Amino acid sequence: MQCREVRDLIDSFLAQELLTETNHEILRHLSGCPSCRADLAERRTLRESLQRAFARARDLEPRSEFSAELGVKLRDIAQAPPRRGLFSHWLALAATVVFGVGLVGTLWWTSRLLRDRDLAAAAVGDHRNCALHFALAEKPISLAEAAQRYDAAYQVLEELPPAEILTSSGAARVLERHSCLYAGRRFAHVVLRYHEKLVSLLVTSGGGGISTNVPLDAALHGESSVGRIDDMSVLSFRSAKHTIFLTGDVNRAELSSLAEVLAVPLTRRLSSTQTHRSTLALATASPRLTTVMPPDDSRSGID
Amino acid sequence: MRMTKKGAPVDDHAWAAFEAEALPHADQLFRVAMWFERNRQEAEDLVQDTMTQALQSFHRFQRGTNCRAWLMTILQHIRSNRRRSRFRSPVIDDPEDRIAETIPFVPPLPERLTDEDMLGALGRIPPHLQEVIVMCDVEEFSYKEIARTLAIPIGTVMSRLHRGRALLRQQLRPAAERRQKEI
Repeated sequence: MQCREVRDLIDSFLAQELLTETNHEILRHLSGCPSCRADLAERRTLRESLQRAFARARDLEPRSEFSAELGVKLRDIAQAPPRRGLFSHWLALAATVVFGVGLVGTLWWTSRLLRDRDLAAAAVGDHRNCALHFALAEKPISLAEAAQRYDAAYQVLEELPPAEILTSSGAARVLERHSCLYAGRRFAHVVLRYHEKLVSLLVTSGGGGISTNVPLDAALHGESSVGRIDDMSVLSFRSAKHTIFLTGDVNRAELSSLAEVLAVPLTRRLSSTQTHRSTLALATASPRLTTVMPPDDSRSGID
Repeated sequence: MRMTKKGAPVDDHAWAAFEAEALPHADQLFRVAMWFERNRQEAEDLVQDTMTQALQSFHRFQRGTNCRAWLMTILQHIRSNRRRSRFRSPVIDDPEDRIAETIPFVPPLPERLTDEDMLGALGRIPPHLQEVIVMCDVEEFSYKEIARTLAIPIGTVMSRLHRGRALLRQQLRPAAERRQKEI
């Protein structure tokens, strides 16, 4: 074994991670190499000094009750009932059956995620978790990687919208573009600063029916309303195979202005990308700007 | 093990496993969090968020692997998300990094150093080099664990360690000379 190999392995040697044979080779080398012995001694000293300094530093010590308090909080979390328990699922299923708008059994389970409100709620949730709180369970990935692994159309978001967007009610600026996962759904995510607020443009494959479909030209002339979910305005429009959401803590006029600028180029590009991928003749009909309605129990909150 | 749909353990058995394997690392996680955050409240929040997320994802933890390294991966992920929220513009160039790349001479590790000297010198080198040194020399994580925790290649871990230790030795020299004079 050469000196360079030994020095590359010294950390693993000190951490006792090496195979017995490798350990023996290192020990054999060390017995005849004063230079590597000195290097090993120095690294050991550095390691021990740092560990000692960390362990003894009063500034780094947690409060004496920190662990106990944390344990109590975590135990409370562990014992808290799940947010959506079995009961609420059954209740939702019962409501679906009663009103004749849903399916049952497995079909209900698989289609549930595609329903408007869940999808819109997921978009709003992603906006909150990723753009506002940065509390995603999985690290965001680049749009290029997402395009390669999940959906080639996500690549479109690398260029669209442009870095600066001018709308009739002010300018928006792109802060970040990536792809992230929320509630099991993958989004291409563009974070914008608009009217001093963070607004998210989220694109996801498929997507569901939208509660209220409003033709684009009608919506652009102020005939639509913007739904609110979880204190966020949310508006969606669709291309042939994607649902696009705009959501943020801005008012309905501001969100509509942004949609006016983004809807046509975005849906056109998303649809044409799909055409290239699937070689299917997809209709590039005019995009439909749509409104996501809030849950029934908060309809009074619609702007 | 029974889990909620969100992945949080709900039964006593799951909680007991988490309490036995993960919770004992809270104090050590705090020390590392405190080192990086330099703010007690932020460090406590960071550790609490880390442990909460770990509890909800505990079914993903592979038994028999290094639990502290797994927790540190979550902690680093939360830190990087928070950093992203504070500094959205990507850092194009890091002058300290360039300085670190061009260290002309690596002095030997001086003797007669106090804990304050060690921590003071460590605190003066670039944060990304501090990270690998803390994980390797204080936490005793393997290169592979550090690479996974920081989401960087193993080669980068090794080069950062090399540069970080060289810079650390440079930073320790004045302190060592002071101690020598005191004697």
